[in-house]
Amino acid sequence: MTNVILGRFLQAFLLLLVMSLIGFIGIHSAGNPVYNIVNVETASAEDIREATIALGLDQPLWVQYVRFLENVGTGNFGTSYIYHLPAFGLLLSKLPATFELAFLAMLPAAPIGTGLGLLAGRHPGSILDGLILRSSVFALSIPSFWLSMMLILLGAIFTGWFPSGGRGETLSFLGQNWSFLTLDGLRHLALPVLALAIPNIALIARLARSGTVEVERLDFTRFCRAKGLSPSRILFRHTLPNISIPIVTIVGLQFGGMLAFAVVVESIFAWPGIGKLLIDSIQLLDRPVVMATLTFVSAVFVLLNALVDITYSILDPRVRVSV
Amino acid sequence: MIGMKIKSAIPRPALSVSGIILACYVLAAVAAPLLAPQNPYDPLQIFGWEASSPPGSMGSGGYRYLLGTDGLGRDIASGILYGLRISLVVSLSGTIIAAVIGLSAGVAAAYFGKWVDIIIMRLVDLQLSLPTMLVALIAIVTLGPGIDRIILALIIVQWAVFARIARGVALSEAGKSYMDAASLLRLPSYRVIFRHLLPNSIAPAITLMPVEIGHAIALEATLSFLGLGVPIDKPSLGSMVASGFQYLLTGQYWISFFPGLALFGLIACINFVGEDVRRRLDPRGSSL
Repeated sequence: MTNVILGRFLQAFLLLLVMSLIGFIGIHSAGNPVYNIVNVETASAEDIREATIALGLDQPLWVQYVRFLENVGTGNFGTSYIYHLPAFGLLLSKLPATFELAFLAMLPAAPIGTGLGLLAGRHPGSILDGLILRSSVFALSIPSFWLSMMLILLGAIFTGWFPSGGRGETLSFLGQNWSFLTLDGLRHLALPVLALAIPNIALIARLARSGTVEVERLDFTRFCRAKGLSPSRILFRHTLPNISIPIVTIVGLQFGGMLAFAVVVESIFAWPGIGKLLIDSIQLLDRPVVMATLTFVSAVFVLLNALVDITYSILDPRVRVSV
Repeated sequence: MIGMKIKSAIPRPALSVSGIILACYVLAAVAAPLLAPQNPYDPLQIFGWEASSPPGSMGSGGYRYLLGTDGLGRDIASGILYGLRISLVVSLSGTIIAAVIGLSAGVAAAYFGKWVDIIIMRLVDLQLSLPTMLVALIAIVTLGPGIDRIILALIIVQWAVFARIARGVALSEAGKSYMDAASLLRLPSYRVIFRHLLPNSIAPAITLMPVEIGHAIALEATLSFLGLGVPIDKPSLGSMVASGFQYLLTGQYWISFFPGLALFGLIACINFVGEDVRRRLDPRGSSL
């Protein structure tokens, strides 16, 4: 067992190393950040040379990479070219905003999605089932940026009920600022949370539906029915636990995904989280911040996957062989 | 045998509304220069003083702007038709090339086994464990913007799915007697792979195509929306929506609304057709 866990973490570590190398080379070929810092029209050749040396960009590529790895090992991704703050600290300061958004989106999405899936899967082929399936396809087809913009159009511009962007008033708690503690913050949260929750509800509903259809066909549910248990008791006491493992997995992965995929929603709602930071930094060629963000998000994912695999191998001995 | 499998996989268009709408989309994209009143790439046909006119207003070109004009004075209806072309060409070529590469890689992994298998499948695992958006962002950051780069990014994002499916099928095909016969005849390995193994492993990948094309369209639109996709002078549907964002806040909704609606309809039709295809091949209806 220890071997499995150690092996899985070693594999995860190697993956991260490969990814950081690809990312490093990639961002290096994307453009010269010196021109974003110095004023191109007024700077002399001397200024540009000094800026290049100051940023360490005069060194060969592999020296820069080794230096980068050394720094990552000590949690130091360098200083942002734009904000002049440590990149990793900048990233961490944006984390609560993204986390809050993702958490509040998943909070209603998981039970609603599961409930809809159970309802649909109980009578496959019924009108209700068709309706839920069809709506889920529509919900998964809406491009998230368009959905967000339409929510702004309806909820902010035509009706004026909600603000169109920003975090609103925040309250300090555990040393971080949170929007969900104030009424104004909650109003700011409503639209982006909805934009993130809708596709997740559809995804979870489809997963729950297919699980329910599969389980309701099995002998033990037929036995429960023969025993005279009420349909709702069968559904919640017997079917639900049996479909919960894939649902919990997808909830976890989608939650991790929102930390990365909230890019679109965050930039539309001007939500100052990791996603917006990433997009802004890519456009400004703020290399340390882009590297810190991509490395962080990738690391979260690789670790999340490793944890899921290890949890499976603890729960189900058959999986151990293939990990 | 293989022909039958594919034929039964394609839904009868007379029965499926989404299939008909999808066909209309493709026809509209092909016939865009004939249907569109304005060529949005020709500056001589664009009147800058008519920027962001509301839907239905009369233009100086002697035709009505059915869906209004955008911030540069381009007719939205024409823009959608031309943008559709770019969206479809980019996503179709990306998905098809990804399928070809993925299928070949998957079949090769199954046929050669050993280290070829290990290298290819580790790469596939690496990619599928990350969200597609993250892979796409890393690819775009690495490659830079441009239409060809977007196609390349779509290939990088999508090949792994095809490789995994093809490998699974090819592994079960490899044990069949026609493969024994092929190796007894001492056929060269490229011939075994491309003439025997690949054609017999292709069916599940075909059923995957509609879904993947839908994903590709959405992904291209998202990247273009974020300003990391197709260049602004040749707008796809996604970049048209993006260009209307700043006007949305002042109530000029049509610049974003109509291109987005067209995009939504297109993706929804493809997903419904894909659902149809899968339901016909998986009658239990249990797959996601």
